Amino acid sequence: MKRKMISLVLGVCMMVTMMVGCSQKPEQLENEEKNTTENVGDAGEEDGASQEAPEGASSEEASSDEGGKKYEGITLSFMSNIAGVQSEAMEEVIAQFEAETGAVVEYSSPGASYEELMKTKMAANQLPDLFTTHGWSIARYGQYLEPLNGQEWASRLSESAKQVVVEASSGNFYCLPVDVDVAGIIYNKTVLDAAGVNVDELKTWDAFAESLGKIKEAGYTPIHIGGKDNWTIGQFFDWVAPSYLITDEANNHRDALKDGSFDWSNWKGLAQMMADWKAEGYFNTDCLTADYNAQIKAMAEDKVAFEFLGNSAVTEMQSVNPDVDLGLMSVPSSSDTDEPTLIGGERIAIGVWKDSANKEAALELLGYFAQDENMKNVATADGAPASFEGVESDTGIIKDDLAKYMSQCRIFPYFDREYLPNGMWDDMCITGASILAEDSGAVDNACSAMEESYKAKLEVQ
Amino acid sequence: MKKTIKKNIINIYYIPALVLFGIFVIYPLLKGLQLSFTNWDGFSQNYSNVGWRNYQALFKDANIKTTLINTVIYGFGSTLLQNVLGLAYALFLNRKFTGRNVARAVIYVPAMVASLIMGYMYYFILQYDGGALNDILAVFGLEAVDWLSKGSWAVILITLINSIQFVGVSMILYLAGLQGIPSSYYEAAELDGASKWQSFRHITLPLLLPAITSSVMLNLIGGLKLFDIIQALTAGGPGFASHSLATLVSYTYFRGQNAGYSATIGIFSFVLIMAVSIVLMRFFTKKEGDV
Repeated sequence: MKRKMISLVLGVCMMVTMMVGCSQKPEQLENEEKNTTENVGDAGEEDGASQEAPEGASSEEASSDEGGKKYEGITLSFMSNIAGVQSEAMEEVIAQFEAETGAVVEYSSPGASYEELMKTKMAANQLPDLFTTHGWSIARYGQYLEPLNGQEWASRLSESAKQVVVEASSGNFYCLPVDVDVAGIIYNKTVLDAAGVNVDELKTWDAFAESLGKIKEAGYTPIHIGGKDNWTIGQFFDWVAPSYLITDEANNHRDALKDGSFDWSNWKGLAQMMADWKAEGYFNTDCLTADYNAQIKAMAEDKVAFEFLGNSAVTEMQSVNPDVDLGLMSVPSSSDTDEPTLIGGERIAIGVWKDSANKEAALELLGYFAQDENMKNVATADGAPASFEGVESDTGIIKDDLAKYMSQCRIFPYFDREYLPNGMWDDMCITGASILAEDSGAVDNACSAMEESYKAKLEVQ
Repeated sequence: MKKTIKKNIINIYYIPALVLFGIFVIYPLLKGLQLSFTNWDGFSQNYSNVGWRNYQALFKDANIKTTLINTVIYGFGSTLLQNVLGLAYALFLNRKFTGRNVARAVIYVPAMVASLIMGYMYYFILQYDGGALNDILAVFGLEAVDWLSKGSWAVILITLINSIQFVGVSMILYLAGLQGIPSSYYEAAELDGASKWQSFRHITLPLLLPAITSSVMLNLIGGLKLFDIIQALTAGGPGFASHSLATLVSYTYFRGQNAGYSATIGIFSFVLIMAVSIVLMRFFTKKEGDV
């Protein structure tokens, strides 16, 4: 009898535990009760990440009923791929929004797993209320984001920002670009001075390769790649491909890449360049096994001359060694008939999920990022130009270089984002790794693998 | 009637486990099977059916061959090392001597560390620039080696590290098995003039078969599904050289944005592990029956 009773009690406990586990969060219940009392509408659909406000609940209603702040009781979820000092600057803006509106923002920055997390959230169609778009506000996230053309701040976007975020076919844009990424090749002045290299003379890849030889002879590593994080290999092609295929006004493959007729034997030139530089020993010995942190450290410690990274890396290098003397140069051209260029794209760009139940509050938070002072602070932390006309950010140690090359050079979008089907970034990374591993036939294989993937992905899109 | 209900009421207690099993194992498996016939990119709301195309691609994919070989090495290599070493440790540590418990703990502790952390710890030991191993080589005036730059080396090192981490689990299983063998058997064998090897061969090994079965199956399935250590040490690189089927599934899904094909690799991996497990289980069951 005693045994039976114990079994019964345990069984009931188990069932109750399961039911409790499947039930709503206590905060949500509390919130729903509040909403019912306020009689402002039905509870919104739960998105799994945030506690929803009633659909259509305006700030005025919330404010007047409670006599509290505008978004009291509302929780916004905000996911970001931004880390470090840049993320801290963003959190300051969020704190300001929370203090003034009473909303709670669940901000998370999952680091390297950000893209994977966002893909699973897209698959489930349950996205955060706000999220950063890391260069993909149109091609990948466009269908999930609220068009922002009607926002008060929309007219203030600079021309360079518009080029980056506006969808050509519809004229819509889906993110607030807090700053814009204008990138070139980062170099170490100390190393180049020691090797007797002047970056102003490096107009073409041939001249650049010649300088790599001098740097190697001087005992430094000419180019560092942290290939264990194989996106750093993809960066190489993102930097080099435009000069071979895009930037030459008289002879380019822009249309062919977009309409699917591109002849991939044209990829051989840049793949071969990587293979030749590897054979010459212009990359670090551990270019396949070092990681991104090693790349940052090597530049900060004056061991390396050039790195193909975005400008945010400069801040990270300075955090390792505040005295490191860095510069930014334009990307050389592949022929004498063309000119050096810069690469541009989204950097810190934030979008609002179009199905967010808290869209109004989310858009208002976006508005906080669009305030001059806030934009300036975040862009300064990121070391990148702000995206509004009239907002000046401090781009730090590369400020003069940036100003100089931005006035001289044409800016082209990141190659893979603009000219390759979504998902091909990885093919550049993998085929590049094979070239760096000096696999036999790696250059030809790179061309055929890129072609195969290009056709397969075009078919899906 | 009342008696039947009373008799079967115990079955109610299976329900929570069955529900959880259904939600977390059966449903994902069926969903994976369905996705393996699609061209889903892993995040879009739309995808179409592509029939057997992903399965045809699987057999033409050169990277699958490398990955499959690696997976077999991770699975069988780790199993062999862990069991041989685990048994040796168990035999040694089954004797009474001072410090025996400390030695057991030292061997078992790595199994308590998360594999990802273990992988990163070894990455810092093996990395070319600033790695502990190369620093030691430098002390002796030797050239630094980029240990993980060649795929074959990376695969061997990953197998070794995985074995070092989990050898303690095999050791514990064998210790439990050894402690279940009555000492009278050894005494009788000694009286009959059996050598140490003969005692081991004809008493220890046959009576350890249940422990061997458990250990081999656990190690093999763990090795064939190896993920964390590879991710931390090489991320499957250089290129595809050190990928296992498990890392390739993740890589193809998230980086390659080809969830349909990734699901196909996952199903292939599932079938492979199941087939190997069934064959080995039958083998060991037969052996145990023979004893």
